[in-house]
Amino acid sequence: MSDDLEKRLRAALRPVDPGESFTRGVLERIGSEQAQPRWGTRRTRLRWVSAALAASILLAGVVAHQWQAQRTRRGLDARRQLLEALTVTSHKLDIAYRVVNDQDDNTTASDPDDRT
Amino acid sequence: MRSFVKLFTAAALAASMLFTRVALAAPPGALQLPEFGSLADKAVQAVDITLDGALLNLASGFLDTKKPEDAAAKDVIRGLQGIYVRSYTFDKDFVYPQADVDLVRKQLGAPGWQKLVMTRDNREHSKVDIYVCVNGGRSCGLAIIASEPREFTIVNIVGSIDLQKLHTLEGKFGIPRMSLDEKK
Repeated sequence: MSDDLEKRLRAALRPVDPGESFTRGVLERIGSEQAQPRWGTRRTRLRWVSAALAASILLAGVVAHQWQAQRTRRGLDARRQLLEALTVTSHKLDIAYRVVNDQDDNTTASDPDDRT
Repeated sequence: MRSFVKLFTAAALAASMLFTRVALAAPPGALQLPEFGSLADKAVQAVDITLDGALLNLASGFLDTKKPEDAAAKDVIRGLQGIYVRSYTFDKDFVYPQADVDLVRKQLGAPGWQKLVMTRDNREHSKVDIYVCVNGGRSCGLAIIASEPREFTIVNIVGSIDLQKLHTLEGKFGIPRMSLDEKK
């Protein structure tokens, strides 16, 4: 039984001549691959260029978004600081106006002739 | 010929130094504010604002003119080159160095600066001095030095400032409207 199986396996795995057409095909293929330019075919090059272009656009988009986000952050911070600065200024001016008003009232009260 | 080249080089060097000096010189109306870094640690509240022309422009782009206070701010900062505020509040009386405040006051004695208002409130021990810088008949800056026992504030606004516009800030930043004319 095992002898029979061995014989059948040997028969199946015996070296077979691939034939002239197969050899010719392999040699033709080797020849055509060697003849291809360094950067592949035109289609391959186009794919690489497209991928590089897409990556560049994506990168530019990310950089632009980050720049805009940073600018917005700085702008809002500057706006907050500006309003705070004007609030402080306004408050101090108000104190000055109030004191000037008080002094003016006192002067008017102490000098009745001014009222006429 | 050699001496001419030397003379020319020296003249060019002097001119470039002068140009650099003029370019780096502070604009009229700008004060040299001392470093109050150590005070910020002692203060219970510190406001340190430095807005140069570029930042004012940037801030202006983010003001919403539909809001009254933003519209007022945009109107006020038109023509300004900088706003600098140093304000410190303390929990003890007179802990701030008077010498630093005097250093700023001394700068206001320079030609161009005119004292506009000087108020002294003896009840609250507060002082407010307002100075305006005038250059060629036009205002080029404003300085406010306000001091109270537990607070001092220095405001320096650089540029062509319209005091009338500043006055219109009243009532727009949480400050009650209070005009001299109304009281009279």
